[in-house]
Amino acid sequence: MAIRREPSRAQVRREQMLAAATYPLDWLEERSGLVGGVKYFLFRKVPSDTNWMQTLGSATLTAFLVQAVTGVILAMYYKPSPHDAYSSIQNITDHLTMGWLVRGMHKWGASVFIILMFLHMGRVFLFGAYKYPRELNWIIGVLLLVLGLTAGFTGYLLPWDQTAYWASVVGINLNGTAPFVGPWLAQFLRSGQEINGNTLSLFYSLHMLVIPAGIISLITLHLYLVIRLGVTSPPWSREAAGREVVEEPSTVRTGLTRPAPHGGASGGSD
Amino acid sequence: MAEEKPSGLDERRAGFARYKKDVKERGKSFFPYAMFHDTVMSLIVVSVIVGLAVIWKWTSYGPHHDGLHKGLIGPEYAPPADPGTVSFVPRPDWYFYFLFYLLRIFKWPETVFLGTIGVPTIALILLLALPFMDLRRERRPSRRPVAMVAAVLTIFSMGILTWKGATAKEALASEVIADVPSWVTQEKLPAAAIPGAKLFATAGCTACHTYLGTGSSNLGAPDLTAIGTRNLGISFQIRHLQCPSCVTPGSPMPKFASLGTARLHELAVFLESSKGKR
Ligand code: HEC
Ligand code: HEM
Repeated sequence: MAIRREPSRAQVRREQMLAAATYPLDWLEERSGLVGGVKYFLFRKVPSDTNWMQTLGSATLTAFLVQAVTGVILAMYYKPSPHDAYSSIQNITDHLTMGWLVRGMHKWGASVFIILMFLHMGRVFLFGAYKYPRELNWIIGVLLLVLGLTAGFTGYLLPWDQTAYWASVVGINLNGTAPFVGPWLAQFLRSGQEINGNTLSLFYSLHMLVIPAGIISLITLHLYLVIRLGVTSPPWSREAAGREVVEEPSTVRTGLTRPAPHGGASGGSD
Repeated sequence: MAEEKPSGLDERRAGFARYKKDVKERGKSFFPYAMFHDTVMSLIVVSVIVGLAVIWKWTSYGPHHDGLHKGLIGPEYAPPADPGTVSFVPRPDWYFYFLFYLLRIFKWPETVFLGTIGVPTIALILLLALPFMDLRRERRPSRRPVAMVAAVLTIFSMGILTWKGATAKEALASEVIADVPSWVTQEKLPAAAIPGAKLFATAGCTACHTYLGTGSSNLGAPDLTAIGTRNLGISFQIRHLQCPSCVTPGSPMPKFASLGTARLHELAVFLESSKGKR
């Protein structure tokens, strides 16, 4: 039946087009290996039983990306000086086209980001996913949590309204109650004796340069470890990856309603 | 926790090797299976953020063309910062409420440091140390009673503190000033102390201090009903108000130098005349 035929014109055409379309990818792969990297990332195996709770990490990442994009746009119109800050915020929120949406998403996105970090941390705790060999990733996570809260604290001052100003006065003074370093820390945060333009500049540079750079570096490390180590299976799952399976006599486990899949489990399920 | 010894490192290594093997043999491909869930969740997150921004804009500025209007979930902005008038309640963003409320529990000067730095630092150290304290291989929540009870207690207390911080009743300047006549009669304040009393009621002092039951106690600030009995002196009071942390190292009370010496003098007279209920 199978008779080898000359490829038709259309077939030749199709193959040529395919080669032309993949050429840029081949070019990139040959020079960087990036295509292979992305393929590895996409087609790597994850445990068969991962569930919705395990989307919280990438949801946190999404919230952070929303903050990054809206933050960059806000920085184009915001003016970090006591004289102009408030009016530039008013201008963004009430006059710029879609300015309210960008500022609103940044303002509310901050809360969503922080809530998601806590929920994600809760999921990791519930799954016991901080255990060997993921201790380091838990520590990186705690640092991310601290940096996220610091970003919230420094961003709160920027609108330079009454809420912002007095919350920061009290917040900075609270840092001042620490033993030994307290007064120095408070002095540093204020950039002087009073909260003024210098404080605003300092908070602005921390909020839009230093802290985001720290968060981005830590997220990169965090995700590297997630890909290297893999995510854990839900610990209660019957087919949890790494689960220790002990052969037991089938009479012990097999009930009327639920036959045992492959013996009972004992001990840890890594 | 007690009945089981921490699993040895060799066992933990074997467990992880088993994990890697299982994932390789029985795992699913990240794309499209896991990634589909991630994408759906991310879309929900972005929609919630956009939704909040819309509600905020439409209910605050929307109906009144006034960004100061409270709306459903808060105003676009408060009035501009004014270091001179303190008739404003200092309030952090909601995720610091627990800390804010914690400070009502501790008292200046003995324990306030516990609330500001002590408890948060201990919490942070415990979080960082968690993977090194809990060395058992067991991951099932039903077999980790200590961890689960600790988690529930933590969530419960953070929730209570945040809720209390959110609903804490703050004394508004307009309400506090109505109490001034009763202060005058109860404390038998001289006429010279009345301008200072009004200033005290409106300058935000009652955000941290209580006076004859008015105001809320925050950051461990002392009750000032009978501050005059300590005879600290007018010039001390003025110096303290100008720069509390210069007089009392580490004081979290804000500086009130911007009120100007004349008004600080009025405040000092009021404080020194406050000899308690008479
Ligand atoms: C943000 C909170 C806060 C505000 C607002 C505040 N205080 Fe205080 N105050 C404190 C704390 C904390 C202390 C204890 C530390 C100290 O002595 O400085 C204190 C102490 C004092 C003392 C006692 C000083 C001593 O040596 O015993 C007086 C008097 C006082 N405040 C007056 C005022 C007056 C008047 C105002 C308003 C103009 C005011 N405070 C506003 C927090 C505050
Ligand atoms: C900017 C904040 C964060 C981002 C963007 C982030 C992102 C992620 C992602 C995408 C994963 C993959 C699995 C999943 O989605 O659940 C993950 C796993 C993990 N995260 Fe985070 N995370 C953040 C903060 C945290 C925090 C605050 C902690 C804990 C203190 C933490 C600890 C961990 C651990 C231990 C894992 C491995 C879990 C496992 O293998 O099952 N992360 N993170």
